[in-house]
Amino acid sequence: MIYLYAIAEELTGLPDVRGVDGAPLGRRSVEGLDLVVSEHDGAEVAASEEAVLAHARVVEGLVERADALLPARFGRGFRDEAALRDAIEGRAASLRDALAQVRGCVEIGVRVLAAEPAPPPATESGRAYMEARLARSEETERLARELHEPLAALARAATRTVGATPRLLLSGAYLVEPGALDAFRHRVEELEAEHSELTFVSTGPWPPYSFAPGGET
Amino acid sequence: MTSVPERPLEQQITLLELIDRVLNKGVVLTGDVTLSVADVDLVYVGLRVLLASVGTLERLGE
Repeated sequence: MIYLYAIAEELTGLPDVRGVDGAPLGRRSVEGLDLVVSEHDGAEVAASEEAVLAHARVVEGLVERADALLPARFGRGFRDEAALRDAIEGRAASLRDALAQVRGCVEIGVRVLAAEPAPPPATESGRAYMEARLARSEETERLARELHEPLAALARAATRTVGATPRLLLSGAYLVEPGALDAFRHRVEELEAEHSELTFVSTGPWPPYSFAPGGET
Repeated sequence: MTSVPERPLEQQITLLELIDRVLNKGVVLTGDVTLSVADVDLVYVGLRVLLASVGTLERLGE
């Protein structure tokens, strides 16, 4: 099985780290795209936290060695060289577009948590309950937009995902050019000051995991 | 003397944000083999729990 870490353009070398399960890294080239892989016996790699971190270390080490880089999702392997080649060839155009988009940028993550899980409204009728619930979800959506849009305006691209918990008001990823990083961070601080009741968690810079094409599951 | 409670929490968030990205983002190609992810769900649940607790911890610190 051939395990894939990342797809890159103008890769200048491989980082001095081992891959998943301690496997040495290798390179392949398909349609002008550089692939970073490792070879494994059998069809499975155990999905431990250590394996996830090994994957992440490889990607991290590639960032400074590539002109543009798309991380692969964890746990993706291919039967053989032909299967890997087929998968890349079928997507070469969209992969090139995605590489052009992320070139030179880093990803910044911003999560915003609501102050309190709002208590269910005291209701006298089912209708009042439904109306209160609707008003609350509209308010949540309005607030999420109010936080997301000014940040997206400073980014080359941005994505928003629905929160994993009701308290997770905003879960955004922003593709930011290095020259805009200070302005972006400053804007996050401003929003934080304007919304002292909310908790902001800003992380990065990350490799552009959230801007690599590949299904929203 | 460093601030004891904040730092480990910050590091944990960074770690879990990283794991979330590696597991749930990134290029997916058709025709690939999906590997066993039984343990991975547990890691992801950890992220949700931690995020939910961040606000609570900050309020306690005030």
